[in-house]
Amino acid sequence: MSHLKTENLTYTYGEGTPFKITALDNVNIDLEKGEFVAIIGHTGSGKSTLVQHLNGLLKPTNGKIFLDEKNIHDSKSTLFDARFRVGLCFQYPEYQLFEETVYKDIAFGPTNMGLSKTEIDERVRNAAKYVGIPDEMLVKSPFDLSGGEKRRVAIAGVISMEPEILILDEPTSGLDPRGREQILGLIKKYREQTGKTVIIVSHSMDDVARYATKVIVMNSSKVEMSGTVDEVFEKASRLREIGLSVPQITEIFIKLREKGYNVSEKIYTVEQGYSELKKLFEGSVTND
Amino acid sequence: MIKDITIGQYFPFNSVIHRLDPRTKLLFTVVFIIMVFVSNNFISLFFNLLLSAVVIGLSKIPLKTVIKGLKPILLVVIITSVLQIAYVKTGIVLVDFWKIQITSGGILTAIFMAIRISLLIVMSTMLTYTTSPTSLTNGLDKTFAPFKKIGIDFHTVTMIMTIALRFIPTLIEEVDKIMSAQKSRGASFEQGNIMKRAKALIPLFIPLLFNSIRRAYELANAMTCRCYNGGQGKTTMNALKFAKRDYMSLLVMAFLIAGVVVLNIFCGEYNAEFTFNLAI
Repeated sequence: MSHLKTENLTYTYGEGTPFKITALDNVNIDLEKGEFVAIIGHTGSGKSTLVQHLNGLLKPTNGKIFLDEKNIHDSKSTLFDARFRVGLCFQYPEYQLFEETVYKDIAFGPTNMGLSKTEIDERVRNAAKYVGIPDEMLVKSPFDLSGGEKRRVAIAGVISMEPEILILDEPTSGLDPRGREQILGLIKKYREQTGKTVIIVSHSMDDVARYATKVIVMNSSKVEMSGTVDEVFEKASRLREIGLSVPQITEIFIKLREKGYNVSEKIYTVEQGYSELKKLFEGSVTND
Repeated sequence: MIKDITIGQYFPFNSVIHRLDPRTKLLFTVVFIIMVFVSNNFISLFFNLLLSAVVIGLSKIPLKTVIKGLKPILLVVIITSVLQIAYVKTGIVLVDFWKIQITSGGILTAIFMAIRISLLIVMSTMLTYTTSPTSLTNGLDKTFAPFKKIGIDFHTVTMIMTIALRFIPTLIEEVDKIMSAQKSRGASFEQGNIMKRAKALIPLFIPLLFNSIRRAYELANAMTCRCYNGGQGKTTMNALKFAKRDYMSLLVMAFLIAGVVVLNIFCGEYNAEFTFNLAI
């Protein structure tokens, strides 16, 4: 059964003004429960607009969105439902923090859901644990934290609503390598422990190759292709045509192959590359 | 909703009006405003209306957009009109009910005022619709440069204005973004009584204020890095120069002034009964 599905989703910004832009053009996606989906595409391809439809923030100009086979724009209650069942964390979420303490900020979502005090407390502490925020940080002001810490607090603010589908728009943008690893690691851990669906919008092909189970490629408001990591990165030349790339390690193996080395081109992670190279060296040793 | 605010916006089209020197447009706007105030009868006012229609036509800006720009002042127009109807007691009495007396003079004055206010707003928004903030500031800078000799530094004022204008769209975008983010966490901005709504704005305003201050610091740093010193001895890349079209529009201005003056004299002080009789 499909978990989250869009049907001919179309959205135009600024209808009736000279600035009219079609941001989504007949987008059809279909996601299963528990998938780790990556949406890639260059700037302005419609990725962010797409994810803002999935929790009902934007109302489609045309087309429908189904959550567990139910149209989320059916009524006020289905829309309200979608807001909480699909958690959306925006790009640079640290700029939305506003409360006096980290604890209160993480509790904002659950409080709006109308949960009991004990339930809220439990959820806040759980979410904080997922993103690695120690108890003593909960009483601090969010404005006193470092950039990476703020980012994690903001993500915890969405996780605390315990959404069935967690969407993160470019969760690692603007972070240093260690911050990136931390964020991606916690998202991976979160998915493994809860078995929930995770969607990330990303620019980094390396991250996508390492974590995603499904890749959706957006190009000029349309879904260009979708499939598993192998299925998508196989089409390296098409990806380059639309301004994207393949993971760096794949790039290296494509070049190696061009130079005449007997290696596979279908290498998408450093681990795969390591074992492929090991095979190559061991092979050449026995040949000598 | 929030994106409907069009005051101060610039529509980058390529038209004669867009290409005019900003100083010409500034002068024209001032002259037009004065003329709208000077006009004391319907025919003079109609003359102004005609001219603004020509300007809108030439600018290629859709009439729909121009009219939409009037939306924010609709309330002002309505209140003014109602007051005119209530207080002006000249001409023929049309309705006489209890304490309310509506006269032809009242209605005509109300219409007169509504057109007058609308014209003022339309022409001043046309200035920003057709002039990019940079060129507008350049124009203001040049126009008021002589004031420096008497100790008034207009450059700082124009710089503050440009920055403010420049950041309106940025702030609108930011409000939109923060609102979406907080809505994603279940916040609602459109429900409840006034107290509840005011409280709902806290999650919006605190990040907005914080980000604005941060942005101001960044901008100040960036300006310092580029040796901004308050515009001393600053020259511009595109120096302003009057072209033929600017002299042409000076002629149009002269025509406007002459027209309004002549029409004012000929048709006389706007007279409710006279106009009313003319209308029927």
